[in-house]
This record gives sequence, C-alpha cells and structure tokens, in this order.
Amino acid sequence: MDDSVLTTLKILIIGESGVGKSSLLMRFVDNEFNADQAITIGVDFKCKKISLNGNTIKLAIWDTAGQERFRTLTPSYYRDAQGAILVYDVTKKESFTKLETWLNELETYSTKSNIVKMVVGNKIDMENREVSRDDGMKFARRHATLFIESSAKTTDGVQCAFEELVQKIIQTPGLWETQEETSKRAAFRASSDDDAQQSSYCCGGYF
Amino acid sequence: MEETLDEVVSLDDLQKFERAYNEQLFTDSVTKETQFNYAWCLVRSKYPADIRKGLILLEELFKRDQSEEGKRDYLYYLAVGNARIKDYAKALQFVRAFLHIEPGNSQVQNLETIVKKRMEREGLVGIAVASGFIIAIGAVLGLILAKR
Ligand SMILES: Nc1nc2c(ncn2[C@@H]2O[C@H](COP(=O)(O)OP(=O)(O)OP(=O)(O)O)[C@@H](O)[C@H]2O)c(=O)[nH]1
Ligand SMILES: [Mg+2]
Repeated sequence: MDDSVLTTLKILIIGESGVGKSSLLMRFVDNEFNADQAITIGVDFKCKKISLNGNTIKLAIWDTAGQERFRTLTPSYYRDAQGAILVYDVTKKESFTKLETWLNELETYSTKSNIVKMVVGNKIDMENREVSRDDGMKFARRHATLFIESSAKTTDGVQCAFEELVQKIIQTPGLWETQEETSKRAAFRASSDDDAQQSSYCCGGYF
Repeated sequence: MEETLDEVVSLDDLQKFERAYNEQLFTDSVTKETQFNYAWCLVRSKYPADIRKGLILLEELFKRDQSEEGKRDYLYYLAVGNARIKDYAKALQFVRAFLHIEPGNSQVQNLETIVKKRMEREGLVGIAVASGFIIAIGAVLGLILAKR
C-alpha cells in the first residue's frame, strides 16, 4: 500500500439526470468539459488523489446515473460512503425541488449516519436561471448541508465543492479513521486550525 | 479506476432481485426492468456461473428490447460481464460496438482502457472469436446507424 496516503474516502454524486454530475467529476478529475457529455449508464467510477493541509487523501468517487430506470439499483452504491454531493441545475427548478427526494434516499440507504453532504447548484454560467443562490443556500441551511454554486463548463466552484466536502469529512470524528488514524486526525487538526477561518469561506462555499 | 470490474454485488441485492425475477418467471410475465435489474446484479457477482447467467439474460434483452437507450445499457454490461470472466476479447468487441454508435462516450472509453490494461497484465492477446451473437449485434448496429 501507499504509505503517504492518509486515507481513502468514498464519495457519491447523486441528483436528477442532466444536472451535470458526470461533468463536475470530469472537470474535477481530468479538467475537461464535454458539451455532449453522455448519459451515465448505471454507475461510473473515478479516482483522484488530493492534497489537503500537507496530507494526501485518495478519493474514490462514484458517479451515479440519474435516469429513472437505474434508480432501483444505484442506492446499493451508497453503502459506506463518507460524503455525498447532491447536484441540481440552477436553470431547472424541478431538479432543485427533487433534492428533497434525494436527501431522503440518502437518509434511507447510507450506512453512515454522519455522512457529510454538499449541495451543489450547477450551470451558473447559463443565463436562464430559475433557482436563486439565496434559495439554494436556504435549502442547505435547513438541511444542515454544505453549499456551493458551480459551473463544470467554466470550472467555477468545482474544485471547492470537492475540497470542502473532504475537509469536513476529515474534521468529523468517527467518520473515516480507524483507531490508529485517530492520532493522525489530531495532527491534521492542529495543522488546519490556523487557516480554518479562511478555508471555511474558500471561494464562497458555506459550512 | 478498475473498481468498475472489481466491485461486488451484495448478497442481499442479488437475492432480492433474483426473487423478483423468479416470481415473474413463474407467471411468464418477466418485464424488461426486472430482467435488467437481475442481470445487473448477476454480472457483478463474484461467481463466474452467475456472471454467465447474467450475460445470457442481457443477450435476451438486447434481442427483445428495440429501444436505443436499452441497447446501450445492455451493450455496456455485456462488456463489463465478459471482462469480469476474463473474456477480454469479447468484452472489447462489445466496447467497440458501443463506441461505434457513441464514439466520444468517456465511460465506455474508460472501460476499454481498463480491459486493455488487464489483457496486457495477464499477457493475453485479443484473439477475437466472433460468436453468432456478436455478428447479430453487427447487424443491429447497422440498422441503428442507417436510421441516422
Ligand atoms: N452550460 C453548462 N452545461 C453543463 C454544465 N454541466 C453540465 N453541462 C451539460 O449538461 C448536460 C448533462 O450533463 P451530465 O454531466 O451528463 O449530467 P448528469 O447529471 O451526469 O446526467 P446523468 O448521467 O443522466 O445522471 C451535458 O450536455 C453537459 O455538457 C455547466 O456547468 N454548464
Ligand atoms: Mg452522468
């Protein structure tokens, strides 16, 4: 195994079809954007190592298909996930309204009760917005989730969405570490306390 | 990245979707959805016998379901299932059939990369043994392409 990796985290991406889940992941992992991004079949998977406060963390990211016909089986992939990214499209009110259902799904199928959730309002580069930033933020507050707006097309907010989620997971006791790793978390905390104030508002994301 | 070929279905899921399938089979009323869900579980089993059964169900679906979205789902899992039982040459044929219709599909391109990597690692060369079914797919794809 790779000794320098602090831990591997399992992250999920869920939300209605077409909101840009695969595009966000593709932007984050490969720094690419495809205007003709294909509809995901079942689940797709990508890996990325990130470095946070001097620690290397490996992310195993499961990108689920939003289309109705895959809904019976995708919840199986929620098992053991430490973080979930719930995506809606700011130009489609319906995809925002449906977030309520996605949160319920998570509630029902995730095996970790303290799983960290990040709500992402995507496609802010588009003109025809139907969901205001304020509405998104209120929703996130009401459900005690993290929140950010993004554009997979222009890269806005994408990096932050993932990084802030990871930061929060690492700071959540009992969510990721084995006993031996508890001490590592203490060390991690000490190093991140200094810039905590600053990092919690990195690019306008909210805790 | 190779998780696509390594993750394993839970026993709970396999049994749940098997039961649903068998119930419908009993009354001779198996829907596409039920058959697909069961096949999707089977091709992710750790037992090759299950995977083979899943592949048969997917081939049936491919012949029975004329919808384009259905066909791409079946092709994808036919590729995954064959790769999992190490029939890499066949897996690649399904991948290529898929990429023929959707050349830029990154999910399938990734699968192709993983399969090729495994072949290389296991010292295999892709000797394509075209089965009757794959030839039939060629014909179907011909139809789909002709429509566009
Ligand atoms: N303008 C703009 N288009 C985007 C953005 N993100 C995604 N898209 C486009 O929206 C469409 C759907 O994106 P996908 O990433 O495939 O959506 P998805 O959520 O993965 O959909 P499913 O796989 O069906 O669940 C594609 O045509 C993308 O190019 C964005 O930030 N801005
Ligand atoms: Mg997708």
